Amino acid sequence: MANEKVDVVIVGAGASGSVFAAVLAKAGKKVVVLEQGPDWQLSDLISSDFWGRRIKPASGPFLLEGKNPFGYVYQAGWGVGGAALHYFANFPRLLPNDFKIKSEHGRALDWPISYQDVAPYYDKVAQDIGVSGDAKAEEIWRPAGAPYPMPSMKTFRHGEVWLKGFEAAGIRMVPAAVAMNSTDYKGRPACIYDGWCHVGCPTGALANPLVTYLGDAKNAGAEVRPLSTVTRVLSNAPGNKVTGVEYYDAKKERQVQEASVVVLAAWSAQNPRLLLNSATDKHAKGLANSSGLVGKYMMAHFASGTWALFDEDVQNHMGTTGAQFMSYDRYGKTSHKGTFGSSFIVAGSALKTSDLGGFANARLDLFGPDLAAFMKRAARGLTRINAFGEALPSIENRIEPVSDKDEFGMPLAKIIHSYDQDAAALWNANFEEGLGIARATGAKEVWSARGNMPTIHLMGGTIMGTNAGDSVTNSYGQTHEIPNLCIAGPGIFATAGASNPTYTILALSLRGAEQLAANWSTVAG
Amino acid sequence: MHDLERRAFMKGAAIGALAFTVGGTEVLLTPRASRAQGVALRTLTAAQAAMLDALGETLVPGARQAGISHFVDQQISIPAEQALLEARILNVRPPYANFYRAALGAIDRASQALNNGRPFVELSEAEQRSLIDNMRQNKVEGWQGPPGPFVYLVLRSDAVDVVYGTMEGYAALGIPYRPHIAPTKRW
Repeated sequence: MANEKVDVVIVGAGASGSVFAAVLAKAGKKVVVLEQGPDWQLSDLISSDFWGRRIKPASGPFLLEGKNPFGYVYQAGWGVGGAALHYFANFPRLLPNDFKIKSEHGRALDWPISYQDVAPYYDKVAQDIGVSGDAKAEEIWRPAGAPYPMPSMKTFRHGEVWLKGFEAAGIRMVPAAVAMNSTDYKGRPACIYDGWCHVGCPTGALANPLVTYLGDAKNAGAEVRPLSTVTRVLSNAPGNKVTGVEYYDAKKERQVQEASVVVLAAWSAQNPRLLLNSATDKHAKGLANSSGLVGKYMMAHFASGTWALFDEDVQNHMGTTGAQFMSYDRYGKTSHKGTFGSSFIVAGSALKTSDLGGFANARLDLFGPDLAAFMKRAARGLTRINAFGEALPSIENRIEPVSDKDEFGMPLAKIIHSYDQDAAALWNANFEEGLGIARATGAKEVWSARGNMPTIHLMGGTIMGTNAGDSVTNSYGQTHEIPNLCIAGPGIFATAGASNPTYTILALSLRGAEQLAANWSTVAG
Repeated sequence: MHDLERRAFMKGAAIGALAFTVGGTEVLLTPRASRAQGVALRTLTAAQAAMLDALGETLVPGARQAGISHFVDQQISIPAEQALLEARILNVRPPYANFYRAALGAIDRASQALNNGRPFVELSEAEQRSLIDNMRQNKVEGWQGPPGPFVYLVLRSDAVDVVYGTMEGYAALGIPYRPHIAPTKRW
């Protein structure tokens, strides 16, 4: 069945797709957003780790392979709002050194843009959706910009107890920048610090897409169609334009949505899967893939967590799942001797009992009466810091279709991911430093949260660059080969940095969407 | 609006919407009550449920009475997209029942191989603890099934969920639950 042609069809109603939808709908374009999952409302966001699992996919169309397979489902979104419906809203930005690693160190890749190209959009996003923090304090590490629209969030003992340890290590901590309201903002209430951010914030205090860009997009006339699974991007006979998408609706009936512009915003893994499944005789390797780089350079962050158990009641159930304090003092690419890559440090996340991040897993080795005893002590005095680490992009970390197919006949894909020795060395260095910090706090017990090397966030797969030979898109997310086909989201990151990605996703999406709106007739014509 | 008022407001506002989001999921009673009343299992066999009770109790004291077997049975009997199991976020591929059958089978095979044919439920508490500890460390000789440490992680998570992840569990630990929207069902 064919639907009325629209100006733009956006695949995915998460963080990046919502920005494109808002900007283009406000520019007067007819926008349709197709979302694979359900149409979640704020009232669906129940404060429970059980119920929080429901807003993540029940498996995905991906087989997870490699030495360090992606922790796919925990990171993924499913439904309107995407992964940003359950993100922690930590809002660090990338720093200038992230954009020029190749030039400055002869390693990895350069971005085709600099920090200064993105900085104005960080500031715009902060105003659009509300960010709390102390920009001035951050400027010890980055160029000056606009202040955040809200003051820093409240702090709690489970964050404050770490400050002594960081001071001893010579690490400067500043209030964490978070996309949460420390005060009422744009009609949304201030946070009440109940620590349920990770299962979705129903109050509107946390800037998820429903209460920010997606809400704006709907108000400007964008149509969101949930339970709509896109399977192919359609292109014209000469292969120089895309014409829309094929998708399956809630009744699992095939539909075609024609559009002048297609924006793929279905996350780093699904965007390549779609491009590869959209091959034609003119694009035999898949759309926008003459370089063979679609699905390549998949990236993740790893984290080195350190636990500390205090005698005092640190009220770890209070606050937010985001951090209270942050530091870029180990963000230099060679901060730790013998390693390479940035580290971003946070302290003071609220803890709940169960789920992957719950404190029952702080001592995964314990079970039976030992676990029961630990839970009682942890409920009162447990707290954690984390150092996120950067892994450099590797072409071997990739997505490949496999012969098995999903219910719509689209090939599943495998995500192959392994960390290299540099990443492992940085992971270890951050554990070592974390233990030193923890010991200096005076905590009763301290230990490293070691297990399998984690894979946090998902980036790459459609990286940006200067031409079709070295990349899939330009810095706006526009594919080099097909001007009216755009990619949005962390897939276009050329390197990962160590910062939580959503702030950069939004800033790059805003930059790309405004560019698209400003050049609409050239692109869509 | 005052914080507590806002919290209460959100709780009240949620009740109408839950019928939609829960649609199709039949949580008839609390698992504790289900167990107490002998509600029929839907997917697990009686032997599998007894084994899951024993495993759960060994992993987290209280899991048996908290209804771990009824919880898992109910959760693997509904469509995967409605499931609230930790297995979901640990990338277990649906149908989740397949994983539980494989995991329980592997543990019982190991138990019988190492204990003169005795199934897990017939082991002493010390023997049960020992087998689980070895499984956790991937040290069970001749193990056949999903990786032991992963089985440990999933089953331990289920036991933690039913004992500590509920509002009752928070209360038992003295932690204020402070929901924005309280679960109206136990899970």
